[in-house]
Amino acid sequence: MPVTPGSLLAVSNPSFQFDLKFFLNFVFNPAPALLGGLAITVYVAVIAQLMGVILGVLSALAGMSRSWLFRGISGIYVWFFRGTPVLVQIFLVYFGTPYLLSGFDLFPNHIAVAGLDLRGAILAGLVTLGVNEGAYMSEIVRAGILSVDPGQTEAAKSLGMTYRLTMSRIVLPQALRVIIPPLGNEFNNMLKTTSLLSIIAVEELFRYAQAVNSSTFHSFEAYFGVALYYLLLTTIWSWIQARIERRLGVATTGSGGGRSWRMRMLGFANRSGQGAGGMR
Amino acid sequence: MTTPPPGGSLLEAIGGVPTAAAELVVEATDVHKWFGRLHVLKGVSMTVKRQEVVVVIGASGSGKTTFIRCVNHLEKIQQGRISVNGHLIGYRDVNGRLVEDRERNIARQRQEIGMVFQRFNLFPHKTALENITEAPIHVRGVPEAEALETGRALLARVGLSAKSEVYPAQLSGGQQQRVAIARALAMKPALMLFDEPTSALDPEMIGEVLEVMKELAREGMTMIVVTHEMGFAREVADRVVMMEDGQIIEEGTPEHFFTNPTHERTKSFLSKIL
Repeated sequence: MPVTPGSLLAVSNPSFQFDLKFFLNFVFNPAPALLGGLAITVYVAVIAQLMGVILGVLSALAGMSRSWLFRGISGIYVWFFRGTPVLVQIFLVYFGTPYLLSGFDLFPNHIAVAGLDLRGAILAGLVTLGVNEGAYMSEIVRAGILSVDPGQTEAAKSLGMTYRLTMSRIVLPQALRVIIPPLGNEFNNMLKTTSLLSIIAVEELFRYAQAVNSSTFHSFEAYFGVALYYLLLTTIWSWIQARIERRLGVATTGSGGGRSWRMRMLGFANRSGQGAGGMR
Repeated sequence: MTTPPPGGSLLEAIGGVPTAAAELVVEATDVHKWFGRLHVLKGVSMTVKRQEVVVVIGASGSGKTTFIRCVNHLEKIQQGRISVNGHLIGYRDVNGRLVEDRERNIARQRQEIGMVFQRFNLFPHKTALENITEAPIHVRGVPEAEALETGRALLARVGLSAKSEVYPAQLSGGQQQRVAIARALAMKPALMLFDEPTSALDPEMIGEVLEVMKELAREGMTMIVVTHEMGFAREVADRVVMMEDGQIIEEGTPEHFFTNPTHERTKSFLSKIL
């Protein structure tokens, strides 16, 4: 008898039909492995995004520096990581690096980091997504820095501030208001992009759906169910982002009331300009 | 004037007249500057003695703003030299050749030179008081309590005690400029540079800013002021300098400029602004 895909599927899902009970159970009575996958997805996304922000700031500063060497490094970094598929980058880092290091495995199955046992694939995924994200954040941070009135830098310099102080205390806090909205979008993307790590066997959310599929052949139930979980994550994030931006919106009208310390720290308390009285 | 002069002495708030080491606070010799191919300063020389107030006038594009920006090295110069308090600004003399100084050294020199900008450039994410204490605390390393005390005293002297917790966007242009003057003074500079400090202000706010500047001049601050406010020049300037096309074309007391300016360009310029 010839083996067709259909006949294989028929093995454990003989009716070949949508199984509502299985689906509801998958979604509303999540298996510990699903919740574990959810946790890995969130934690990889958060850490990779943080790495991306840090690398993005460094790359943006390097790209705007007076040294051609720094500008060159930043330029090539952004060019390469924005110009190649992230999936290719994941393979390059995880499977490719041992060939570059004459067989040394940078990402073995078990890595002890500060007493924790970290899977090598997760580490490779974090590094790749973080470095990839840094290239995008670099452009976002650059735009944020350029949005700050050059007069701010001049005022800081004239008070005797060094470049480092000027950036950290005057320019970057003001650039944040421009950086925050696209940063929110980047994190929304990051939550979903982590699913690519299933290919190098990181046991995140999508990997779990694949495992359920291959053991039960409830393809629709598993993939749609996990899609709902991604939707949940991005919806929660959208809500958080909207709250942040609403505060930003309130603050940009120049009203003084209800500033939290966080908003003040981020420089959202006021309009960025010099006020109605002064600007040309 | 619209606003009564601020209460008390400005320089008292920062512990008296800053003691400039040198009798000659500014010494600029044959300063040349090009923006690309545009020759904007063509051999400007100027000295400013301790406690002297020099007003620089001239049409826009004459190089007056560029010149005072060179004095604290916000602009590079390509030829000549500028010293403040006997120290070469922005450059090191290496066997007669001028090499741009390290960033850290330039930053240290700028601590001695206060600057007030046409568009105020207050830090919008900091309150009026934080604007004033920012540099003393983070650049000079002044203890916070002491910086706050000085900051409040300065705000009182520019008549803005009530505004210490207010953000710049909630202040009028004149109030912002007064905070900006207090911010520069908080670093206890030996020299203050004013780059058209009233040009961006509504007419009714010019007076309150000029009052603060006059007070400062009377108390003995060394100042270079780029302005078209001839009333200010007449009242407090020791010397007026007229610039035209990147050069100083006439120099003298305010009386000289009001009574018998000699240069044709000066005459026609003054007839337009007076």
